[in-house]
Amino acid sequence: MTATPALTFRLVSKVYDSSSRESRFALREVSFDIPPGLKVAIVGRSGSGKSTLLHLAAGIDVPTQGEVSIRGRNLAALSDRARTLVRRQEIGLVFQFFYLLPHLSVRENVCLPGFIAGAGVSEFEERASELLEEVGLLDRAEDNIQELSGGEMQRVAICRSLLRKPRLLLADEPTGNLDDANSGLVMNLMLKLASKEGHTLVYVTHSAELASLADEVWRLQSGVLNPS
Amino acid sequence: MIRYFLAAWIAHLRKAPSLFLLSVLGVALGVASVVAIQIINRNAIGAFSAGIKAVSGEVDLTVLGQTTTFPEELYSQVLATEGVAAAWPLYQIDVALADRDAFFLQVFGVDLLAPVRLPWNSSPADLSQALFEPGWIAVTPSLAQEMGWSIGDPIDVTSGTRRVQLVIGALVDFKKVSPLASRKLAVMDIAQVQGLLGSSGRIHQIDVQIQEGTHTEELILRLQNRLGPSVQIVTPRQREEQAADLMGAFRLNLTALSWISLFVGLFLIYTSTQASLLRRRLEFGLLRSVGATRAQVFGLILGEVSLLGLLGVILGLPMGYWVAQSNVEMVSATLTNLYLLQEIDSLQLSPSLYALAAGIGLGGAMAGAFFPAIDISRKNSKDLLTAFTLHEKANSLALPVFGMGWLVLTLTALWFWFLGYSWKPAGFVLAVAVLVALPLLTPFLIQQICGRIKTRGFGLGYSLKSLAARLQTTSFAVSSLAIAVSMLLGITLMIGSFRKTVEVWVQTTVQADIYLTTPSWRAEPEATLDAELVSALAAHPGVVSVDRLRRLLVSIDNKRISLVGVDMDLSGGQSRFPLLKGDRMEVLGKVQQGGVLISEPLARKSRLDVGDLLQVYAGAGKLEFPIAGIYYDYTSELGSAAMDLAVMGEIFGPGPIHSLSLYLEEGRDPERVVDEIKARFPDTPLQIRSNQRLREEIFEIFDQTFAVVRILQMMSLLIAVCGIMLTLLVLARERISELALYQALGASRLQIFRLFVGKGLGMGLIALGLGSAGGTVLAAILIFVINRTYFGWTIQVYWPGWPVLQQLATILTAALLASLYPALRASKTPAVELSRDDLQ
Repeated sequence: MTATPALTFRLVSKVYDSSSRESRFALREVSFDIPPGLKVAIVGRSGSGKSTLLHLAAGIDVPTQGEVSIRGRNLAALSDRARTLVRRQEIGLVFQFFYLLPHLSVRENVCLPGFIAGAGVSEFEERASELLEEVGLLDRAEDNIQELSGGEMQRVAICRSLLRKPRLLLADEPTGNLDDANSGLVMNLMLKLASKEGHTLVYVTHSAELASLADEVWRLQSGVLNPS
Repeated sequence: MIRYFLAAWIAHLRKAPSLFLLSVLGVALGVASVVAIQIINRNAIGAFSAGIKAVSGEVDLTVLGQTTTFPEELYSQVLATEGVAAAWPLYQIDVALADRDAFFLQVFGVDLLAPVRLPWNSSPADLSQALFEPGWIAVTPSLAQEMGWSIGDPIDVTSGTRRVQLVIGALVDFKKVSPLASRKLAVMDIAQVQGLLGSSGRIHQIDVQIQEGTHTEELILRLQNRLGPSVQIVTPRQREEQAADLMGAFRLNLTALSWISLFVGLFLIYTSTQASLLRRRLEFGLLRSVGATRAQVFGLILGEVSLLGLLGVILGLPMGYWVAQSNVEMVSATLTNLYLLQEIDSLQLSPSLYALAAGIGLGGAMAGAFFPAIDISRKNSKDLLTAFTLHEKANSLALPVFGMGWLVLTLTALWFWFLGYSWKPAGFVLAVAVLVALPLLTPFLIQQICGRIKTRGFGLGYSLKSLAARLQTTSFAVSSLAIAVSMLLGITLMIGSFRKTVEVWVQTTVQADIYLTTPSWRAEPEATLDAELVSALAAHPGVVSVDRLRRLLVSIDNKRISLVGVDMDLSGGQSRFPLLKGDRMEVLGKVQQGGVLISEPLARKSRLDVGDLLQVYAGAGKLEFPIAGIYYDYTSELGSAAMDLAVMGEIFGPGPIHSLSLYLEEGRDPERVVDEIKARFPDTPLQIRSNQRLREEIFEIFDQTFAVVRILQMMSLLIAVCGIMLTLLVLARERISELALYQALGASRLQIFRLFVGKGLGMGLIALGLGSAGGTVLAAILIFVINRTYFGWTIQVYWPGWPVLQQLATILTAALLASLYPALRASKTPAVELSRDDLQ
């Protein structure tokens, strides 16, 4: 019996300014299935639709046409609240600009998805410590975010994305704001943690070198997806 | 640049209409509160002189009695004085309409044969019968219409226990001569007024026109020497100043409160301007990089703010007029109750008030925007085009600013302790220091309170913690609400304490079972009770003892005060004068030997003490009385003195009684006796109340006195609540990325809604904490410094727990309500709104 795909796109198109005559396709009839545990790198030029693809996969945007499913559940058929709950329970997000909150400490930033989910405090604080230890930042847990370097910030963001053990980890150019040394470090760390906990990972990158670390590399070109 | 200015202004207005409208509302409410109080203040003074101006026109000088009336023989001496071109006497008396409750006509007795042309003589009304028809009276057309009177109709009026029938002889529109003249103004022949309603042979004033070329000061001196010390000669300006001085404390306090509303409004402008400028920093950066000068950017910002201020003025002026109009009756009643001044009948918006509104609206808006505008215009284009964090700057400044706040408080307290305590307005300096220190203390306190919260969920704790992240924005909203809360709480504590003090005082002093006087007692000091009536009442079944009160007006330093005479040895009557200073038995002995008791306000304002001599000018000339004691009195801030009735008779001669207090035998129902007396004297104009009713009336007057203060409190609170809403709207706009992040991490719309409501609640709670501290200090300043200096009353401190709790709950609810709309807006932020620099 084949396992239900972690993420499915069926003929997904996303059009911006669909009301105007010159509507712009960000994605054009994209279809794929990503089985659980697979690590996929998506590469493409700026404006090729990489971020749109991730937004649709995370359910924070809806397609103009087609169907996006997380473990067989069509996101478009869900209410906004139900989509939010899917995101909360199933998906972890890593962003290029980290998006850490300056008024929270390192540990509190990692715990943020736990705060939002209202999960048991002791449970996610323990998990946060584990993750911070994995990325070598446990001793900085109570520090302010502003005191961290870019690489450290992205490590905290990765911990945050993994806090609630999501089945699907989506990363939008996670190393786009880091130098080469930190890029390799962060990417390897993310892949290591994803493998260790069996997460499905989809990440967008410009770097062919970092893309090569994935199980599969797909290329997006003007909204059309081609396996490499 | 002007085209750009208009285009940019319209674009930003479209983009953020709610922020703009809230800012305009903030200015408008600030302008409205100041304008409302100024309208009332100015018209109160205007009403004082309007009646005289309407009857006499523009005069150069007025001869006034030191007490109330003076002999009319002085009139011929005035006419005979060199430099007097014309003069005419006036008799002024307020009479009650017999068939209406507490409705008074302001009657002027005029010498219609005087060789002068009085302004209203030119009216088309037929005045020919004025001298010959008994009771002829000219009233205003508006009053006649209101009452349904026509020429020839009889009307019954009372003065003291005298009841007189007058006849409507003419309708004269005095407002044409003096727009602020009361519709209740009436004119009669002077001889008829003296004979029918007042005292023959006596007049209240003589108005004088000076011969051309005569030096005013010299004439005043000549008149004073000729007429003697029983009169004072004043210019119209001096008269207005005397009236203004009379209610100076009342006006000053209202004015100060209204300026606090404006002060709170400034915070709103600051917050909205700064938010707008932060949002538009890239635009200014671009303008600077394409060649706009710093001055042009500064001008652009101030131009936009001026437009906002202008709209605030346009909205605030009618709002202020409406507030004044809705409160004028209550303020007017206070002025007549406390200061025996003329009531305010109509309101006028003078050109100077328009100028004042424009000045404070535009000036306030510019003051609020000045620092953010300077800050932005000083930055170079590179700084403007790169993301910068004003909030980090606010965070690092929080501690030094906190230090400044403490310094302001400490220096002011030291100054007051060692130097300022004897300076009359020192209390206001203390109050201003508290109001200035509060916003300085706020950022650090938010930083310490909110920043230290260990977040363990996405609830209220998280909301509070996030407040510390945007100090620059949140501390202004918290400050403005804290100021409004301080004002609200300070005044509530003061009024509550005052009310309780008066309650205790009333319980002590209002001991008789029935109080009886004439309907015109308050409006006319010469309104007295008929001697036969007094005897009849003393012998009324069930009455065991009678306390008679005789009231005279005497003058101290050209200010009139009441000197009352009562039976000091009345059994059980000692409690009528609760003593602030002096031993009861000793004081009683001294009073019976010719000493006087003086009220606390008189003692404080005239700096008199037990053992000093009270020097007064009475009709009989200058008199001196040893001060035997000082008593608590809350009936008048002008002060009063009391002496034994028998001693008063010896010094001033026998005279009529103004009011009576009746003590009934045990078991008698006072209300029943009141009904019996009313039935027994159906045609006698009497104002008669049981002990219970009098106490109720005292508190009705008390509450009426502070009604306008409560309106001002509400306006300040409304502005501050607008500030909370504005701040949260700003946060909802500024923090789009943060909100989008929460959504991306799985926060539901309801959670984000609750987060914002939590922020509103948090700001409300911190402001309540700060405001409660500030309010307590303000209350202490109001009770122990300002009130004592300006009004002269001792107020016992009392914590009105329930009203305070109610107010605090109202404020918190208001803050919560103010957060609902921004919370709704924030909860609708889509998760795709993540952008690069917003989270900094």
